[in-house]
Amino acid sequence: MHIPDGILPPTVAIGGYAITGGMIWYSLRKINQYGDPSEQVPRASLLTAGFFVASLIHIPIPPFSIHLILNGLVGVVLGYFAFPAILIGLFFQAVMFQHGGLSSLGVNAAMMGIPAILGYHLFQLHQSFPKSQRWTSVFAFLAGAGALGLSAIIFTVLVVTTIPADMNATLERNAIYLGLAGYSVQALIEGTFTTLLVSFFQRVKPELLSHSIDK
Amino acid sequence: MKLALDQYAHLDSPLHCWNQQLKLIALGGLIFAFAFVETLALLPAMVLITAVLYRLSHLPLHFLMSRLRYPGIFIAVAVVVLPLVSGETVIWEWGGIAIRQEGLLSMLLIVTRFVCILTISLILFGTAPFLSSIKAMRSLGLPRIIVDMTLLSYRYLESFGEILTTMQRAMKLRGFDIHRLSRHNAKRLASLIGSLLVRSYEQSQQVYQAMILRGYSYGLRRQHAGLGAALQEATAPMQFWFWFTCAIALSLIIAETLS
Repeated sequence: MHIPDGILPPTVAIGGYAITGGMIWYSLRKINQYGDPSEQVPRASLLTAGFFVASLIHIPIPPFSIHLILNGLVGVVLGYFAFPAILIGLFFQAVMFQHGGLSSLGVNAAMMGIPAILGYHLFQLHQSFPKSQRWTSVFAFLAGAGALGLSAIIFTVLVVTTIPADMNATLERNAIYLGLAGYSVQALIEGTFTTLLVSFFQRVKPELLSHSIDK
Repeated sequence: MKLALDQYAHLDSPLHCWNQQLKLIALGGLIFAFAFVETLALLPAMVLITAVLYRLSHLPLHFLMSRLRYPGIFIAVAVVVLPLVSGETVIWEWGGIAIRQEGLLSMLLIVTRFVCILTISLILFGTAPFLSSIKAMRSLGLPRIIVDMTLLSYRYLESFGEILTTMQRAMKLRGFDIHRLSRHNAKRLASLIGSLLVRSYEQSQQVYQAMILRGYSYGLRRQHAGLGAALQEATAPMQFWFWFTCAIALSLIIAETLS
């Protein structure tokens, strides 16, 4: 789910950079509000590398296979570090594997990063409910599926509506529905994996879920 | 996982000699100018500029070809689908399949912009060590946290890639069939991803302690050499090529605006 170079009109590409710049400013402001981030930087950096490598694992969905985006889980684990982490991950993907691109980096980062921050806040809501594994799982699923779902909506609408060609409205609408149908399956898979991983962290390394800088 | 991004950074070419800060601004400007182009008449100029720069960079052609392969699917879909579904002027029809002029021209625009921008990106990051590029970004004002995170993540990418390969091999040896998706397999895959992230987290604790012992502290260094300093350091030919490339980028934007 990366928009490559050359697809987007310049106004959208520049708008994407403006939104990403604003989100980076906001994230860094939040990060700095909680004192010296020295300890958080190595943790966020190595987890960024870990998430990047984890996203290369292919999940078999016969007859295809998909790779996980995990932006909801990045939000759940990294909090406000999620946006810089996603920006860096996308930058690596653009320059190392040519997935996405430099001119569309701003749009791609906003498309994946904003849902990650929303996923983080959504997951935090589980603390407002009675402490139980069920509520944690429910909010983990919502964070994972919701973040991917929102990214998919932004991606599909952006691609279908900004391709510089004269598509008829019905075809455009059908393309959007088709895209969203495909991504809704992936959203369910992302939600399931986010739930499984949150459960795994709770058993093996609960600190991974309790280090969010908002605490 | 072999990244091999800067495998040709050691070559000797005019673009390799260029100060990385100036290169980032000039070629970055060119990338945005290319993204700005929507007029078909400007496409030959874009291709010519890209070809000349790639020739000057001395990067081998197979390097470009191998990199063009990765993102091919999305572009391939645009190439196949756009001429079939977009526009009204049919220029060729056979057995119910019609090629439309508007879609064909849009496809041409998208593919040319894509190839040119990707080639310039390769020149930008392939003609200098990756660390020089990050340092150059830092000196141009990229926030310290982003720079530190980028450097540390980059440092551990290959290492975690190797850990993942080892873990996947171990799972396979124990009879795990990755091609079958079941509840059991999903749990195993989640454990694989979870173990990788837990290892990343544990290693980060050691890295943090090692960094503290070496005097790391956020907010101590504030170095913003900026464009002015980079221009002062640059030789006269470097300065000329910098302004020349910026002028080309600006000309493309002006030509696009006027057309």
